[in-house]
Amino acid sequence: MSKEKKRMAFGYALVMPAFLVVMLVVAWPIVTAVQKSFTDPETGGFTFDNYLYFFTDPNQLKNIFFTMFVCFATVAIAIVVAYLLALYLRFVKSPVARLIGNLYLIPRFVPSLVAVYAMITIIRDSGLINRISLLFGADVKLGMMYHASGMITMNLWFNIPFAALMITAGLGAIPDSIIEGARDVGATKWKTFTSMILPLSYKDVVVASTFVFMSNVGSFTTPYLMGGNAPKMLGIALFDQFNKYLRYERAAALSVIMFLICSVSAAVYIYTNLKEKDWEH
Amino acid sequence: MIECKGVNDMEEKILTNETVKSAAPDRVIKLQIKDMTKKYDNGDGVEHIDLDIYEGEIVTMLGPSGCGKSTILRTIGGFLDVTSGDIQIDGKSIVNLPPEKRPTAMVFQSYNLWPHMTVYENLAFGLKLRKTPKDEMDREIKRHLEMVGISGMETKYPSQLSGGQQQRVAIARSLLLKPSVLLLDEPFSALDAKIRQQMREEVKKIQSELGITIVFVTHDQEEAMALSHRIVVMNKGKFEQVGTPSEIYDNPASRYVASFIGEMNFIPQADGSTMAVRPEEVFLVKDGEACDMSGTIRTIMLLGHYVETNVQCGENVIKCYVQREDIEGVNVGDKVNLKFAKHHVF
Repeated sequence: MSKEKKRMAFGYALVMPAFLVVMLVVAWPIVTAVQKSFTDPETGGFTFDNYLYFFTDPNQLKNIFFTMFVCFATVAIAIVVAYLLALYLRFVKSPVARLIGNLYLIPRFVPSLVAVYAMITIIRDSGLINRISLLFGADVKLGMMYHASGMITMNLWFNIPFAALMITAGLGAIPDSIIEGARDVGATKWKTFTSMILPLSYKDVVVASTFVFMSNVGSFTTPYLMGGNAPKMLGIALFDQFNKYLRYERAAALSVIMFLICSVSAAVYIYTNLKEKDWEH
Repeated sequence: MIECKGVNDMEEKILTNETVKSAAPDRVIKLQIKDMTKKYDNGDGVEHIDLDIYEGEIVTMLGPSGCGKSTILRTIGGFLDVTSGDIQIDGKSIVNLPPEKRPTAMVFQSYNLWPHMTVYENLAFGLKLRKTPKDEMDREIKRHLEMVGISGMETKYPSQLSGGQQQRVAIARSLLLKPSVLLLDEPFSALDAKIRQQMREEVKKIQSELGITIVFVTHDQEEAMALSHRIVVMNKGKFEQVGTPSEIYDNPASRYVASFIGEMNFIPQADGSTMAVRPEEVFLVKDGEACDMSGTIRTIMLLGHYVETNVQCGENVIKCYVQREDIEGVNVGDKVNLKFAKHHVF
């Protein structure tokens, strides 16, 4: 074997384990799941019924809209709060800012189950906030459990630090001299923000948004512990189809639907990343 | 008036020179720094800075990194608050104004063009903020791009330009707004030597055309000498000497200035002082003539129209620049006598 061929063989040998794992546990299940989603459980023949069910059954339709609502609300609030936090961390140089800069990632290190239970003990109608209010003679019941508001609050706990991390990195890449240059020619702070900082960081905002969105479409732990019976998040609806009703074909169809929802977001992500603006060379 | 921090025998001479100059009737003070102090939290900074800069003058702050030259420039531009003291332009205090309200414009070391805007948009940004009419804006932008020698680049993005071109755009962008004082913070230090020299000439040309007042910051003594009407040599947050390039070169106020500007031989004297001699002030003289030192030739290097020769005199090595004909027939290892035409003692 020539030296060149040996080197190529060695390269393939390095890639092979990862390639096989991906084929076996990602590609293969996707192919079989898509196949199953078009299969009639009775006859084993081809059908669209599994998909039609999710788009015609009123409860399932509600589940889809409910999931979209929770995801979009989470993305909107998380990104706005994360952007403000990132701006603060980027532009304020004080010991407090440094402290927050070190602390805000802590939620990323708390196991999700622990975090959800911690949140529940605080916001449930007999939780910490209720107990404190009782001391003052009020009986505050937030009604956030088994409600979208509770889940969104929990999602924010997970997603604000993550989004802030990405946006802070983006803002950190904007040199001070760009901002000082704008101030120097007469731009106010607001004008500097809208003309310089926002256009130069918008890509990171889009990327962070798509990540937050995708991670929430299929979320399970939070809706399982904090969500109501109806409407349900799609993660729970999928769990029901698979584990309770043993409707594997429908479960497969719902999986494909969730994948397609995520893929819209993924397409936005890929488009934003690939689209080289004229000025990015 | 000029304040010189170094205390030595040269001070008087320089002050006299300045007095003569500033007595001229056409010298109007443009920028005045009065007892300005800027201290950072870690104790670094500049203290009690006094400096008058006249209209149409190029004044260069020269010193090694960390000497406080950029600090002074940034306090003028408004990017740093002063701890105490005052800065005035045309007799009006500017220390309480934010950068966008100051009649200054700054060109930064890193090319700080806005990467997401074309050259045209970069130049138009400040004019739009001033609500300049479109046709006037187009005309002004065209004129200024011509002035800095990069016409026809309006639609390009900064990343499509070379470093030199970017700095030309940055200079045009600053000049467009007709600042009272133009501040240049090591604008050419990221460029290669040849472009740097071109840009130097360009700035000098533009300055003499527009008659604008420029404060220039650099650590490159050659750049300072070539460009400035006056140089402020700085060291550790203090002014070592303020003077014209020839004053500073010919009569350095301190050993520090002498070592920072140009080449200088330092020869320790018996009384503890140090004699300083420029290499071009050292001459080879024949045996029997009066001489200051004698030694052995160590190296002879032809550097074009002159020869650099190092002479070992006891423990000192004296560098001399001599004419080619003066060193003909002299070889390494020969004994020579040196005469100093001019010297300083520190």
